Amino acid sequence: MGELHLRPRGAPAVRRGWRRAAGLLACVLAPLSAPGVLRAHDQPFSFIDLTLAPGVVEGRVAAHVVDLAHEAGLPAPDSLLAAAYLEPRLDALRRVLGERLAVVADGETLRPRWRPGYEILADRRLVALRWRAERPRPAGEVRVAGPLFRWEGLHQTYLNVYQDGRLRHQDLLDRQHGESVYYTGGAPGVLAVARTFVAAGVHHIFIGPDHVLFIVGLLLLGGRLRRLLAIVTSFTVAHSLTLALATLELVNPPPRLVEPAIALSILYVGVDNLLHTPGRKDARAWIAFGFGFVHGFGFAGVLRQLGLPRGALGWSLASFNLGVELGQAAIVLGVAPLLALIRARSPKRHGGVVTLCSWCVALAGGYWFVRRVFLP
Amino acid sequence: MNRNPTVSGALPLLLSCLAGPARAHEMWLAPSRYVAAAGDTVAIRCYVGTGFRGEARPYAATRTLAFRLHSPRETDLRGAAVNGDPTFARFVAPDGGGTLVSYLSDFARIELPAREFDGYLKLEGLDGPLAERARAGPAAGPGRERYARCLKTWIAGGNANRAQMVMGLPLEIVPLTDPRARGALRVRVLFRGRPLEGALVRAWHAPLEGPASPRDAAARDSVGPAAQARTDRLGMATLAVGGFGEWMLSAVHMVPSGDRGEADWESWWASYTFARGARRR
Repeated sequence: MGELHLRPRGAPAVRRGWRRAAGLLACVLAPLSAPGVLRAHDQPFSFIDLTLAPGVVEGRVAAHVVDLAHEAGLPAPDSLLAAAYLEPRLDALRRVLGERLAVVADGETLRPRWRPGYEILADRRLVALRWRAERPRPAGEVRVAGPLFRWEGLHQTYLNVYQDGRLRHQDLLDRQHGESVYYTGGAPGVLAVARTFVAAGVHHIFIGPDHVLFIVGLLLLGGRLRRLLAIVTSFTVAHSLTLALATLELVNPPPRLVEPAIALSILYVGVDNLLHTPGRKDARAWIAFGFGFVHGFGFAGVLRQLGLPRGALGWSLASFNLGVELGQAAIVLGVAPLLALIRARSPKRHGGVVTLCSWCVALAGGYWFVRRVFLP
Repeated sequence: MNRNPTVSGALPLLLSCLAGPARAHEMWLAPSRYVAAAGDTVAIRCYVGTGFRGEARPYAATRTLAFRLHSPRETDLRGAAVNGDPTFARFVAPDGGGTLVSYLSDFARIELPAREFDGYLKLEGLDGPLAERARAGPAAGPGRERYARCLKTWIAGGNANRAQMVMGLPLEIVPLTDPRARGALRVRVLFRGRPLEGALVRAWHAPLEGPASPRDAAARDSVGPAAQARTDRLGMATLAVGGFGEWMLSAVHMVPSGDRGEADWESWWASYTFARGARRR
């Protein structure tokens, strides 16, 4: 619906004269109101440009005079557009911006050293200041938090990152999207991508009980190591394919279809285990392969939420996949020997455990299916 | 942009004291000139506001799904647009046939208290969602919505057929005749490529600044809709678009969200700007 404003009932439009009257009346009402409301403005934007060069990060911050005046406690915002008024207050403005700038390179918060001078962009009512921060080592990952000003809810900070003379990264920071990550080129950037996305892949496997249950369900019936590896590999091949397709936005089924389908896959595996009869052909690798496509779309949803680096799409995809594989491998290494041990000690007890666990898997899948279809 | 901060700050305060219903902002593309011959440079800006008065909105790269120019071939303008720039695009008209520019944004989210959300649905003529929320009663809860913008602007030339092109936007206003021709304007509203019945189409008017240029949308007065009509079964509506000047057609459509985790409702906001009586010099 876009931004909202309030208007009087029955008034189809607000005319300029109306606004003048509103201004006068508001002066009278001002003590009754929150100051944030009184001083809100129509251009709640700020702009951060970063230029990454060997040994140094250079920055430019442009902020609206209303925001600067509010945060610096200055009474007349538009006076900042006059050099004579601005210059004695530069230190105050630098302090305001310095406190709000949050640029982190490889985990280290940059301390901006303000450069002399300023720019006044009178037509946009902006004041821009420049800074730099030395870094002996090239950064692999640069994180910028925002928006720059939080005193009004709608503020947005436009972020541009330049490297090697080209605009490499663009983003818009607001209350819903409060951090932007840029992975630089070269080895440091690739390493930073790998660190982040391998961890994300492992994390996703362990925080997503649906994927864990699906894999555990497939392993419950046991088998030789080669058989178990074939099952997990089938799952990997299938989900890697759909993960790549969805990440590259070639195929993009909606979550309302993907999430119930994942639940259905878990229900299916549980029921299949319960219906298993000795001597029946083991089709688990095919089941893993078929449903792996669906799980891949689920992984893609998570990967998108992480914010894929456009300049390192392949590396992020491969790293996330590797993380998922490591997570799966950990599950196999934990579950398979345990089941083998139970079976070796008591085949009867093993049968009981398999039945009980399969019921749990099937019930969980059924529960998620009902919840995702009927109670989304 | 050039508003007095005291006044601009005072207005929300005053209006909130009057406790009126919330009204959503329109968004529209405003070219630097509404007529262009081959070789003319045209700059495109974007405004957000109500009553065809608004503030310039800088270009947001990550929020833009499509930004295209048709004249006569299609050009993707995203590569030339810079994040944060108040001018969305600047291009040279390749011929004198006219240029249609389209823009599609990604979804943005918003949440409103139930009463305010219902008031906004009523104001925007979104009867379907309003009735559905009324049926649900208190269980309808707060209004969780995600919205996207589907914008078009016509920079006129000799080939009026280009103004009537379907650009494939999720919600799209398509003139069925030359928008510059005198008399009422017949339009079709398409939702996902199909005619949309019952959509409220509004027409907003503002005088031109020069022979072809719009007045600064931030420095002019708000106006009420000059005409409005609901679309019929074929998605068509006739608007009594009268005088010379800059015009904006607008329509909104809301359906249950495709991603209930993110929002309960999703809406598309379409606008189509053009000018009547604009000339090169």
